[in-house]
Amino acid sequence: MAMAETTPRAAAGQYFERASFTGSASEYFGIWIVNVLLTIVTLGIYSAWAKVRRMRYFYGNTVILDRAFEYHATGKQIFIGRLIVIAFLIVINISTAIFPPLGILTPIVILVALPWLIKRSLRFNARVTSYRNVRFDFVGTAGGAFVAILLGSFVAFISFGILAPLASRWTWRYLFNNLRYGDRPFSSDPQLSRLYGVWILPALIVFLGSIVFGFIAFVVIIGAATVMRESAELTSTQMTVLSIAGLYAGVFIYFILYGVAGLFYRAGVRNIAWSAAELDGRHQLVSDISRLRYAWIAISNVIVTVLTLGLMRPWAAVRMARYVNEHSGIRINGDPGEILSSIEATGAAISAEYMDMEGFDFGF
Amino acid sequence: MLQSVPNTWIWKGSTLASDGAVIAKGEWHPANSSRAIPAVLREDGSLLVAAEEGRVLASAVPERVEVSSRVGSIPRRVSFPDGSVFETRDNEGIDTYLRAKRGARSGLIHRLERFHPRLIVMTIAVILLAASIYRYAVPVLVEVAVLVTPPFVPELIGSGTLASLDRTILKPSELPEGERQAISEGFSKLAVHSKGGQKAYRLYFRDGGVIGPNAFALPDGSLILTDDLVKLANGDREMILGVLGHEIAHVEGKHSLRQLYRAAGVAALVMLIAGDVGSGVEDILTQGGALVALSYSRAAEAEADRRSVELMRAAGYDPAALARFFVVLEEKLGDHGDASILSSHPGTPQRQQDIRNYAAELEGRPQAR
Repeated sequence: MAMAETTPRAAAGQYFERASFTGSASEYFGIWIVNVLLTIVTLGIYSAWAKVRRMRYFYGNTVILDRAFEYHATGKQIFIGRLIVIAFLIVINISTAIFPPLGILTPIVILVALPWLIKRSLRFNARVTSYRNVRFDFVGTAGGAFVAILLGSFVAFISFGILAPLASRWTWRYLFNNLRYGDRPFSSDPQLSRLYGVWILPALIVFLGSIVFGFIAFVVIIGAATVMRESAELTSTQMTVLSIAGLYAGVFIYFILYGVAGLFYRAGVRNIAWSAAELDGRHQLVSDISRLRYAWIAISNVIVTVLTLGLMRPWAAVRMARYVNEHSGIRINGDPGEILSSIEATGAAISAEYMDMEGFDFGF
Repeated sequence: MLQSVPNTWIWKGSTLASDGAVIAKGEWHPANSSRAIPAVLREDGSLLVAAEEGRVLASAVPERVEVSSRVGSIPRRVSFPDGSVFETRDNEGIDTYLRAKRGARSGLIHRLERFHPRLIVMTIAVILLAASIYRYAVPVLVEVAVLVTPPFVPELIGSGTLASLDRTILKPSELPEGERQAISEGFSKLAVHSKGGQKAYRLYFRDGGVIGPNAFALPDGSLILTDDLVKLANGDREMILGVLGHEIAHVEGKHSLRQLYRAAGVAALVMLIAGDVGSGVEDILTQGGALVALSYSRAAEAEADRRSVELMRAAGYDPAALARFFVVLEEKLGDHGDASILSSHPGTPQRQQDIRNYAAELEGRPQAR
């Protein structure tokens, strides 16, 4: 049985193990379809409990060193978190309707509240996660979230993505350096030069893609214009329809280009940030996702999901989880059984958990 | 919840390895510790006990023991009041015990989720429900959202869009001052008769660049008119005003806000229902879909056409002037094939006819409405 005490496989030195995913698409399909059905029937209320079942399934099937992760949040906690957010939005709506000048303040209030909400969300998600009966914790501050997430996104956006690696570095440092597993800290310091190393390919995809598609569009337009001049067969309506179709095709291609580039970038950055990360300053995390394979899985997942009207979504989710897990691992410095048995939970993560609300889930 | 009752579990070096039936095999963690000890869970009289060979690790009355509900075949947690945890992958063992203890109703959700022909029925139910939500619930939600939208939202969208268009595509207008003045005056006459009155609208002249001959409305009441459209009109100011009347109607009817909410609503529903639509390409797909949903619907166009006729008539202009615009647009497009790219207003002969019919219909009625 998998739950038996891990036998020390290497008495000393380094011990490397990959994670795995033990769930199956057919098993998850049942959970997923019941989630969807009950969510609809209860007008969305069940979605909080649905989320818990989904998370428990994926965490509980993520196994490393023979042990699974666990997700401890309750449907009630998540439901209350969502209620608070909805109540907040209603209050804003009513107050601005009664006193319109408040409307100017609202975006400012949201901008100030956002880093705090991000921090709370990260902390909540860490604290409801455990491995071997010991919980994770997140000790990042709202100020840190502001720099790492908001300022980072802003910098990446206004530089047209050229400074994206800088933003990625801030984000991953914030995420890892504030993460705790019981009484042990994580740390990560991804090097900027390596981040730029994985930035080049996606940047080229966007750059060359734009040139190629721009050229194709140019040829098509010239060709169409020539045909148009020679034959008056096309009515103006058809012309208009064609040009609108052309516009949407153009925008669509840009979305695809950015989307594909984003997938390559995300996988590359994850590899670097994880591989630069350490637990307790001694045990190294490893991520060796193939960027091409990751992009292929993500893209084909979407295509299959759309073609089956969403019914293959469970299969797609399981397929992605399996790939990502199997390419994540940890290199333990010493005897894994001994080291993992010695970790104790710390006070904060145990006591404060139930007062935390989820608010938003940013999906890190 | 974690009530902390310290040390209720008792280390008994050599108690009898008692008789109670074993419920499941697994391992036991002391409270807050990653240490794992192979153990069994069993019933000992009225107590639920986690025990190592011959040694009780934790025990409590079943009412104070929390057993996590079953999800697929992930490990189950049996939490004792002292914070210690017995963990096992033997889901069947735990379920058998729970059914005997708490009756057939325990684990209902899990039994629904099991792979079984029943899932086909559920799938069909989900498809039917989803289709009817899209057909009936989304339109209602959109109306509610439009109703409760505070005024700063359309203003934010409007000023933001105009600013970014100015930075990218649009350039300052090169029309002569007199021309602009004349159009603005006519526009004011139209706006006076609209719902929000003259103050609710602002007309901006811009060189549209690649947009070509076009006019469009932002949700905050900003109307943008491109130089090319004025040139296309070739001095026919009434025709331009007809187009502006159409755009005023889009603002009046909050058409763009509605489209935005419809797109957002569909995306939100998909996320709420499907739960983990997740990341990356999925985002792009949602946004792409939203973008397609952004062009005005046919019904909105027809409504705006009719409203243009009403406004033009009220202001004392030719009510059917908008129809002339479609004629010109059609000729122009047919000639050169440089269709305005952002145009979401394909001018069909049908629309021209509808406009003329409606104008004639209003003419036939007494003046007072």
